[in-house]
Formats: sequence, structure tokens, C-alpha cells
Amino acid sequence: MPSRDGRRGALVAYCMVDRVRRGRYRALALAARQAGATHLELGFPFSDPIADGPVLQARADAAVRHGTDWRDLEAAIRDVASILPTYVMSYANPFWRRGLDRALAEIGRAGARGFLVPDLSLEESPPWRRASRRAGLELVLLAAPSSDRRRVAALARQSAGFLYLVSRYGTTGAGRTAGAAALAPIVRAAHEARPDLPVYLGFGIRDAASARSARRAGADGVVVATALEERFGELPRPATVGRILRPIARALRPVAT
Amino acid sequence: MPRRFGAYGGAYVPETLVPALSELERAWRAARRDPAFRRELAERARSFGGRPTPLHFAERLTARAGGAEIWLKREDLVHGGAHKFNNALGQGLLARRMGKPRLIAETGAGQHGVATAMIGAALGFATEVYMGEVDMERQRPNVLRMELLGARVRPVRTGQRTLKDAINEALRDWITNVRTTHYLLGSAVGPHPFPSMVADFQSVIGREILREARRRWGRPPHLAVACVGGGSNAIGTFHPMRRTSVELLGVEAGGPRGSTVGAASLTRGRPGILHGSYSYVLQDRSGEIADTQSISAGLDYAGVGPEHAYLRDAGRARYIAVHDEDALRAFRWLAEDEGILPALEPSHAIYAAVVEARRRPKRQRIVVTLSGRGDKDLEVVGRAVA
Repeated sequence: MPSRDGRRGALVAYCMVDRVRRGRYRALALAARQAGATHLELGFPFSDPIADGPVLQARADAAVRHGTDWRDLEAAIRDVASILPTYVMSYANPFWRRGLDRALAEIGRAGARGFLVPDLSLEESPPWRRASRRAGLELVLLAAPSSDRRRVAALARQSAGFLYLVSRYGTTGAGRTAGAAALAPIVRAAHEARPDLPVYLGFGIRDAASARSARRAGADGVVVATALEERFGELPRPATVGRILRPIARALRPVAT
Repeated sequence: MPRRFGAYGGAYVPETLVPALSELERAWRAARRDPAFRRELAERARSFGGRPTPLHFAERLTARAGGAEIWLKREDLVHGGAHKFNNALGQGLLARRMGKPRLIAETGAGQHGVATAMIGAALGFATEVYMGEVDMERQRPNVLRMELLGARVRPVRTGQRTLKDAINEALRDWITNVRTTHYLLGSAVGPHPFPSMVADFQSVIGREILREARRRWGRPPHLAVACVGGGSNAIGTFHPMRRTSVELLGVEAGGPRGSTVGAASLTRGRPGILHGSYSYVLQDRSGEIADTQSISAGLDYAGVGPEHAYLRDAGRARYIAVHDEDALRAFRWLAEDEGILPALEPSHAIYAAVVEARRRPKRQRIVVTLSGRGDKDLEVVGRAVA
């Protein structure tokens, strides 16, 4: 296997879908690609996001207040999916309420490559994995610092697209990652179980330093969400995307070996 | 212990919490088999909690209804003034067994917060209680009680600032501090093993009812009635009776007359995933959790325990909604006829019991779980009847 350090790290850029942001996604996606993003993650708001810190909570609140619905999500996917591979992030209930098969067929038709559900545990995931295969979508599972080696291996084996490694105990947003020394064994366990599956680190990736630390832990990429949303305000501008992502993308360039 | 009740239940939680839930389940299974744990639980329930609680004949309320006999299971006499003690004690002893130095809890009416604060003091935990700002305002006496008992009350300012939002914040705290903290969840909701475990600790209510009924009447009551928010006092009443002949009636909060939602997830919601379990949930077409409305903070919740969802679908228990105005009427009946100030939560159940008594013959017996006392509600009631 070629050294993972020899490759450029993936950079997943997040944006919450919000009815008032209609018509802006395409320009944001182009700016993200220009700045070095390799994937997009579109968040569908949920009223009770227990894994999220204050910034993403407030964004979800606003999007729900604005009457954002599933059609807004489908439209946003259609706007960006041809620019970068696009994943949908939401909590379990919005998918369930829509009907799992119907929801996945719809986002699949709109062009999504896969989806992630932060409150879907490995134990509850079998029907969701079957539905994702029927829809031809990748279901990305999440691992955490609390997962032991056996769980990390099981999560990596059942995950599709990539494995999302939560960087620390805590919610999304401000706060430090657990650090490369603590995270490296988890990344290694995932790679051993599934050498073909990249591991992307999320929660607390906000600048070049946190991205470099993710690379030191062995991660194949990072997810940037809160750092973008806290500067976006209600109506994000493409220039903001570039300003935040460019230094992170530079930190993800191949490590000289 | 079942992970699912029919289709309902499960554990829909972020991965960070999964190992902690497994640890909790293991600790609880081991404790149930440990005679020393069971002895300590029973002894503290007696000497600290005041158990067993009596079954009390509501003679004048029965005369007012003019039908079946109404009996009250006096959980309002438990230490702290509500059934919440039963579960807080059990989980507190478990947390000590697991070596966790810190307890967190959510509270709506404040009764679970008070119970957790009492247990935290008695067993020497650092205790923090999340409570919505709206609830802190309407249940002010309980905020003061928690603080006097040494707990820190953390105001929750997100969402509707009520029970659901307090649970969100407690879950976020647990995700952050799971290595040192036990989340002492107060209702039969949340991810597995909480619904089974809380039902287990609360089942002392139903077991005592059946025991005293057998002693007094030589048979179980005809009907058991309990209020349902998350559903812990109701499941504690119903669970031991589920394989008996007793009819089971759960009473949800209908909100003010004319309200389309109230807080009645079983009668007006549909299946969904909230706070880690699959159950009935009040929600909109996009799956966003609905705002709720009830005069009683303890019932003001958009979800309900998964075992109730199962009992409902199986037809084993019936669930109805009672409006704020009728709960207030029942509050006054119990005060004026029986000399008891009930909490607003069981006032919903009292109203339903009177309606049921009216249409039943005098030889039948109805047991209502009087889950808590009403001192905390005096301001709210005073304003409502003024």
C-alpha cells in the first residue's frame, strides 16, 4: 500500500441547508472547490441536534424557523452535486419521517453520493445500511474516542465512503481535538480493518494547526463545519468559504517523507 | 432486559455514548442479581424514602363521582414529594457502583431534579441539574430546593426552554463528560437501557398496589390510572400489571382547551426518533419536533417512553388526553374533598379517574397513582383560578 502521507488530504466543507439560502449553494460550492475542498456536506436541520454545539444549534434553529423542508434539501443537492461529491447530514428523525426508502431515493436522484446520521448507532444501523444499498448511497458511520478497537473495526467494516472520526468527547464546534497521540491508534485500527476506507476527522477542525494535527494522527482528511457556519451568518458569501478553507487545504498537502 | 418493546425503543445515540450505555446495562444487570445491592435499595427506600406508600380510599371524591371506588396510590408521600425518588435512588446506587463521581439530570417540574439532588447529597455526588428557563419560572420552589440540597441548577435557554430542551442539554453534557459522569435520566424515555431500567426501579409502585389490593380485596383493582409525560410513574404502575386483568389507562396532557397538540404524543403524535429511542413523537411533516403546551411542566414533553408506545399499539393500555382546565378542576376536587394538594401532573389522572368512576358500577375499584404533591404548583394554580 502506498504511504497515506504521500497523498493530499481530503477536505469536506459543510453548509446547512436553509430556505433563505436558496440560490446560493452553487457559488459556495464553486468557491469551496477553488479553495481546495474535495467533498461537500449539506446539513438538513433538525430541531433537537444533541451532537451539536451552540453554533450549529443556532443555525438549525434558524433553518427550521424559516420553514426549510426536504424539497429545499433536494434543490440544494442538485445545485452542487456536479461540482463536488456531496453527502447529506441529518439526524435520524427527518429521514424516518419522510420514509427511509423514499428519503434516500430522493436524495440519490438529486445527486447525493451518501449520507451521515450522527445519532444512528452501529446497533441500529442494519435497516439503514440495507436501505442505503437499495438507493445506491454510501452510509457513512461515525467512530469516536470512546470506541474501543473492536468497535472501530466493526464501524470501519460497515461504513461506506469514509469513516467519520469524531475528534473528541463533546459536541461540534469550539474546543480542541483529543490530539494526535490519542487519535492515532483509532485511525490505525480503522485502517487495519479496512485498508481501502479513508478516515476523515471532524469536530473542532478550524484552522491549519488543527488540520495538521489531524494529519499527524493519520487521518486521510478533515471535515470543517462550525468554523464555516460561525462566519457565514444567515447568508454565506463565497469569499468567506475561501478565506477559511484555503489555509486548511494548504495544511493538507502531502507530507514530505 | 428488552432493547425493544415490539418495534419501539432501541438506542439512537452518537457513538460517543454507546460504550457508556453498554457499561450502564452491564452494571445494572449485575446489581439486580446482587443481594447486597437489593438490600441497600430496599433499606434506603424504607428509611430515607418512606416506602411503602399507602393505598388511600378517596371517600368523598368517590361520592362526588357517584360510581366506582377511587383509591389513591400515595406516591406524593415519598420523600421529596414524588415518585421520582424511586428511580433516582436506584440509579444513584448504580452510579456509585460504577465509580462515577458526578451526576447530571434533566428536570421539567423540578421533582426529578429535587430527587437527584437529594440522592446526590446523601451519596456524596457532585450534582448538576438542567432545567428549562420557562420551567424554572413556573416551578420556582423546586429550584430553591435543589440549590439548598447542594445541586447546581443549569438554566437551559434553547428551544422552548422546557423539558425536551433540558434533556438535549443533559445529553450534550454527557457526551462531553461521559467518562466521569452518570446521566440520571428521570423518565422511562431515552436510549436503551434507560426505559427498561427506569421501569424496573419504578415498578415498586405497581407491585405495592397489587400486594395491598390482594390483602384488602383478595383481587387486583379493576382499573389503574396514571398520568403520562415521559411516562415513568405510569410504567411503574402498569408494568407489574401487564399480565393481569387490570385495565390500564394512561392520561396525557391535552394542553389548554382548543389546543391541537398539547403534549399528547400517544394520542396525537406518530412514531419517530427522539432522545435516543423510537416511540410516539409530536412532530411536523419534516420530522421537526413540535412545540408542546401544558399547564404542567412535568407532562410538557413531545415524546413518550417506548414501552407505552408498545402497550398502546398492542391494545393493552388505553391513552387519553385531558385538558388544562379539567386538570385544574380535579386539583380543586382533591383539595376540597380529600384534603390533599396534588401536583398538576397527576391532577390529569384524577380527572380521568372521576370520569371513569362515574360510568362504572359501585363495586368496581379504580387505583390512581398520585405521583406527586402540589406545593410546587401553588403559584400556577393560584394564577389560573384567580
